[in-house]
Amino acid sequence: MKSHNPFRALTTGAIAYSLLFSIPVFAQKSPNLSDAEIASVAVVANQIDVSYAEIAKKQSTNEDVLKFAETMISDHSAVINQAVALVKKLGVTPKDNAVSQKLLKDAEKTKKTLHSTSGKAFNKAYVDNEVTYHKAVIATVEGVLIPESDNKELKDLLQGVVPVLKTHLEHARMLQSKLSNK
Amino acid sequence: MTNTFVLIKHCIYLFVSAFLPGGCASAPDRAIHKSYTIEIKEMKFEPAELIVQKGDTVVWINRDIVAHDATEEPTKAWTSGVIPSGQSWSLVVTKSADYYCSIHMVMKGKLLAE
Repeated sequence: MKSHNPFRALTTGAIAYSLLFSIPVFAQKSPNLSDAEIASVAVVANQIDVSYAEIAKKQSTNEDVLKFAETMISDHSAVINQAVALVKKLGVTPKDNAVSQKLLKDAEKTKKTLHSTSGKAFNKAYVDNEVTYHKAVIATVEGVLIPESDNKELKDLLQGVVPVLKTHLEHARMLQSKLSNK
Repeated sequence: MTNTFVLIKHCIYLFVSAFLPGGCASAPDRAIHKSYTIEIKEMKFEPAELIVQKGDTVVWINRDIVAHDATEEPTKAWTSGVIPSGQSWSLVVTKSADYYCSIHMVMKGKLLAE
């Protein structure tokens, strides 16, 4: 069982922040997360993208954006279901931690920004955020969650999610380019 | 002795003939169609490019944790509809086609029918 102390929580938050917002920093020491904390980060990160997509479904009328949002809801919900089934099987309860808290705090700011825009400005804001968010989540999964996972099944699940996230990023970039040409 | 030999020879001939439909002179004019499998895994069609004969069957199996489809492009002449995780869909190929996953538009594949 890994110990938990305030210093580690601070370090976790600081490094996660740098991972999320200045991506290529893997030379730094990774935060020390337990499998229960990793499960929490994985579920929260997916839930956040579902919540962004739900805003898009309400606020956009662009067919491509709506289709992308549907895909985000469907895929991230599938990942959440897999993660929930796995933690249930392993008898692990996802544990709140500095990384998941930071993700949620930043998501609230992003959601406020998205709610304050409409029309083309909304589409751009949503898709730009999808590019940034997927880049950050890929960096966190590859740089922190996978190396920190002790359980093989949890590690395998996270490794299986990376191609999904990378495809989403590619799709979001394609959409970003299409929107900028309109 | 000779009669016995002739009788045995005829019996063998009848026995073999029974298992050769149409006889040796007229072999059946039927093409033998094959079945191929394309795995959808790690958000890719594998193989991404497949050469088949017209009339062959291609089966797409979704090994990913998310749903996919296989849709002809650019006209959507055929589509699998949603292939849930762990499920499969098959198509008898009649002509070459480019296809993609309409759920994840960056996933692409190609069928070359000869």
